[in-house]
Amino acid sequence: MGSGNNPIYTGVPEKDVFALHFLQTLSNLRTQIPFSSPDKTKDRVKKIKKAAYVSMARAAGGTNRLWSRSLLHQAAKRNNKNVRLSRRRKRVTWPRRNRRDPVEEPAAERLRNLVPGGGAMETSKLMEETAHYIKCLSMQVKVMQCLVDGLSPK
Amino acid sequence: MDNELFMNAGVLSHPSEMTSLSSSSPPAMLNWASMETHPLEQSITRNVPRDCFFGEKSTEQSIFGSALNSLVSPPPSESNFSGGGAGENYVTRELVGDLGNIGDIYGAPASFGNGFGSCYATPMMSSPPLDAFSGDSRFAERAARFSCLGSRSFNGRRTNGPVAETASINGEMTRVSSNSALKPPAGESSGESSRKRKAKSKEHSPSTASPSPNLSKEVEGKEDSDSKRSRKSQENGENTKSLDPYKDFIHVRARRGQATDSHSLAERVRREKISERMKLLQELVPGCNKVTGKALMLDEIINYVQSLQRQVEFLSMKLSSVNTRLDFNMDALMSKDIFPSSNNQQVPQLESSSHILLADHHSHTLQLNPNDSSNNIMNPMETSESRSFNSQLPTLTHLTDSISQFSTYSEDDLHSIIHMGFAQNQIREPNQVHSTSFQGPSNQVPSHMKAEL
Repeated sequence: MGSGNNPIYTGVPEKDVFALHFLQTLSNLRTQIPFSSPDKTKDRVKKIKKAAYVSMARAAGGTNRLWSRSLLHQAAKRNNKNVRLSRRRKRVTWPRRNRRDPVEEPAAERLRNLVPGGGAMETSKLMEETAHYIKCLSMQVKVMQCLVDGLSPK
Repeated sequence: MDNELFMNAGVLSHPSEMTSLSSSSPPAMLNWASMETHPLEQSITRNVPRDCFFGEKSTEQSIFGSALNSLVSPPPSESNFSGGGAGENYVTRELVGDLGNIGDIYGAPASFGNGFGSCYATPMMSSPPLDAFSGDSRFAERAARFSCLGSRSFNGRRTNGPVAETASINGEMTRVSSNSALKPPAGESSGESSRKRKAKSKEHSPSTASPSPNLSKEVEGKEDSDSKRSRKSQENGENTKSLDPYKDFIHVRARRGQATDSHSLAERVRREKISERMKLLQELVPGCNKVTGKALMLDEIINYVQSLQRQVEFLSMKLSSVNTRLDFNMDALMSKDIFPSSNNQQVPQLESSSHILLADHHSHTLQLNPNDSSNNIMNPMETSESRSFNSQLPTLTHLTDSISQFSTYSEDDLHSIIHMGFAQNQIREPNQVHSTSFQGPSNQVPSHMKAEL
């Protein structure tokens, strides 16, 4: 997954890091009592999905990336309100002026809705984050596919 | 009339400033300040806040710091001023002097200057933290305006004589301000670009020492307007000197034949950034090479992201359904993971645990392929994993039971299985070193190999 000579850094760790994080999160899930009960399927699915995203965020960049940070924030907010990662010194600038309504704003708007934390970024930063997000998502998909294949009996 | 002018300007929004201004200085001074801001505001101040926030990293500090520096640091050519070592006095006198010929003020008592200086200096002299700045866009406007005024003051002092009265001050001020407003921002682009090149070449040497990708163009914007207005190479030289402390700003060259005002430059840089990132995204998203145009490509990217997210959801559904049946085996599956790994880290603890789990001859066969992680399926896992793994050892006894099925296979079979898995993986993903995988509870290992990545 070489990115060529790119000054914009979008490196992504290897698959095992993702796998490790995902499995750890899943094992944490398993320790929850109502997990193994099969009646609430949707909840299980949701939990697994959330676990997937959270583990992906942790594996990919932790708090170094905007999207992962906002993902983790969202997840933490749902669980408990106490979790607060250490604030970065640099204040996130108010991006209104930066976006400046260019020609491609409607598409960028959709992208903002898709990528977590997209609402607070200006367009060029948004695209950087999207690139990294895509890489991590595809990695996570591969990991999950592996897992499913491994677990499913033939 | 004074009040009216104040209202019109609307720039001096800082309430303490206004009150101190009104208290300490004659109304005429207030007039010029308020009048001056209008034409400047259009071109400069708009630029500044955007560019201030344009920078990505810690350029805000440098922006404001540099603005402060330009205001505070006494320019070396200012020999006219007598005494008054404090920078505030210079600031005020620049501000005052630039409107041309407010000669009275040169001789004005220091109290006046102090009055001005204090009100201007207090928010600027202290280096307030970023938080105070970044929220205060009006301050940015003010800073930009003052810095521009400061540079313009060189012009004013040289060209105009000192004597003037209050009435004439107003007249001249109007003249000067209208003068500045009339200067076409986009005119003489080639000439201006050449002038800009001169100015920039002087500045490029200190700046190239520390280039950084995330920069703002606020200084550029100011420079452009200054060079437009000044028309003197000395001005450019002075600007260079006064802007020397700023070293981390992007220096954008205005291209020949293109508009050179700060707005368009900022736009150009921004567009370039966006297009650069679009190229990056184009490589990532499959099938994006044929599509040209930002809108279509963005649509494609959005579709791709959506499809990836849907895939995650679908796989999590599958995983949940699978998990119900194999819940008991979760620990086992964690241990004998099926993920290919790329590195060859041999964690000794894991090896020992793998020995425990697997029969000896199996581990022996596994070690025949040292490059892949099948040796310990736990191989790529970090020590945390090994710790959790070791803690779950008692639960893995069923794993050993299931794996003992392997004993039915001969060594050669296992070899072939491993190599099958290898070949299979290599076909599908040439980038990574692959491992084979073993399915514990089921005994369709060969068929399963094919299914693995």
